[in-house]
Amino acid sequence: MAEFLQALAQGLLIGSTYGLLALGMGLVYGVSGVVNFSHGDFISLGMFLCLALYSALALDPYVSLVITVPLMTVIGGLVYWYLLRPMVGHQFLMVVQLTLGLSLVLQNGILMVFGGQPARTPSVVESKLLILGDVVVRVPHVIAFVVSFAMAIGLYIMLRSTDFGRSIRAVHQNAHAAALMGIDVSRVQTLTFALGIGILAIAAALLLPGTPIQPAQGLRYTVITLIVVALGGMTNFVGIMLGGLIIGLSEAYGTIYLSDTLGMLLPYGIFVLIMLFRPQGLTWSSSR
Amino acid sequence: MRQEFYKTLMSPVWLVILVLAAVLPPLLPSYYLHIVILSLVYVALASAWNIVGGMAGQISLAHSLFIGTGAMLSTALLLKLGVNMWLGLVISAVISGAMGAMIAWIDFRFQLGHLSFVLITLAFAEMGTVIVEGWDFLGGASGLLLPQDKGDFLAFQFGGGIGAFWVMLVLAIASILINVAILNAPLGYYLRTIRDNENAARAIGVNILRYKVAAMVISAMLSSVIGTAYVRYLTFADPYLLVSPIIIIEIVLFATVGGLGRAYGPAFGALLLVPLGEILRGKLGGTLPGLHYFIYGVVVIAVILMSPRGLLPLFEKWFSRARPKAATTK
Repeated sequence: MAEFLQALAQGLLIGSTYGLLALGMGLVYGVSGVVNFSHGDFISLGMFLCLALYSALALDPYVSLVITVPLMTVIGGLVYWYLLRPMVGHQFLMVVQLTLGLSLVLQNGILMVFGGQPARTPSVVESKLLILGDVVVRVPHVIAFVVSFAMAIGLYIMLRSTDFGRSIRAVHQNAHAAALMGIDVSRVQTLTFALGIGILAIAAALLLPGTPIQPAQGLRYTVITLIVVALGGMTNFVGIMLGGLIIGLSEAYGTIYLSDTLGMLLPYGIFVLIMLFRPQGLTWSSSR
Repeated sequence: MRQEFYKTLMSPVWLVILVLAAVLPPLLPSYYLHIVILSLVYVALASAWNIVGGMAGQISLAHSLFIGTGAMLSTALLLKLGVNMWLGLVISAVISGAMGAMIAWIDFRFQLGHLSFVLITLAFAEMGTVIVEGWDFLGGASGLLLPQDKGDFLAFQFGGGIGAFWVMLVLAIASILINVAILNAPLGYYLRTIRDNENAARAIGVNILRYKVAAMVISAMLSSVIGTAYVRYLTFADPYLLVSPIIIIEIVLFATVGGLGRAYGPAFGALLLVPLGEILRGKLGGTLPGLHYFIYGVVVIAVILMSPRGLLPLFEKWFSRARPKAATTK
């Protein structure tokens, strides 16, 4: 039973961060139809920026956010404006290929600067534990859980009741009509992409304490994020956070109760089954 | 319809290729021969993928499973059970074909959208990697080492360099010709109809399941055979190279950059990008790790921004624009 609760806590805490990773991608897909295969490499970029700030100025990853969030937001905006915006209206696959090219550039840019050795970025809370009865959880995971849900709620409120949020929803529902209403669609798409990358900077710092990082990890994060977004459905924030929790839990339970291999297969298996038997959770299954 | 195919078959270009193939390889330093062989491998793979990804419009990322089956299973059968590699090639191809049929059936039965299909096949590809890494019979994470190539044809050995070159040349040309044949056969028309409007295709009575399965099975078996030949050339069956989603992502990249759905587009993309990648690696790989892939990524982005429909259509446009001018100046 203790094992069960431990895995439950672990899965929920990690899963919430997966949900946050996926929110950024879902937002971008909803507004501009871009599926960003360099998503995971932007997470890497966020993590390595924290590492650089720690090595140079001895900043804690959580403090580095003051610098990394604005920086990544600007990078995201520039990437959309100069690389992705010209591709609007072209084949879906071409845009995907472009983001794959971007993934190569980011991953190897990081490799050139930091080298290929796995690295760690220490944090003051890294080794602190929280003990609740039989369950032991690490403090960074609790911080990640709280911040992820706070961010999700914040984004939800922003979408519901600010002008920027309304323009995002308008472009999502019908870009053409939104343009006729005087909304600058390119601008909204660029800002949304920038926002999505900015969120990644936060997610990166949340995942960082205690996690060894290396430049080649990007694709794995991209795949997890894609799976979570697909599970949750596009605009459905609750669905995406739920998708994150499902993947987090299946990873945690799979590695405890099944063999290593089967445990790693479990999230993918669950994903395939849900995609096949509950496609109504996906808004894009209707827009074939 | 068939005439197009025979015309292609009778084209004098093949004679030129044959002469070049007979003369050049012995003259090339082994490093450049390796680049040529590698390019041919990817020409073959990208063309095989094109049957599903280009003509039928199904962006399958599960092809790493077929390549991986062709490579890892035939190697494992030889090393663990002593099965002749020719037989292993056939067994792997049949299993790959069955997996392909299953994936096509799932796609049809559950009416997957484009993006759902991409994601589900990506999940299959990831599952394949995890299974191979965790299953000792297929070599686990450390891979399998084939016995040295002694040039014994009956044991699926072709004598390294030049022999491998011929095998890959045959496979690449076969793969391209199968593309040409399908494009000009009823199957090709059905596939393009399904790609462009599945509902309309269904309405005029196209048997969607049959053609989707046919395309996937042909493509899967071809990929598997190429996988077996590739691993024989490499000698080392490395799961991280042959079963990882990265190999299929590269193939899709070549096919898209070259020009999707055309007979020669994917081959063109592979012929351009593989040597570029290899030469960059050779020249810059030693200086700063990552630099050659960095430049490669920049080139890919630049090419896509320059010609979002693929390079082959772009060249055709240039060519057709340049020709009338040349005619008038004469």
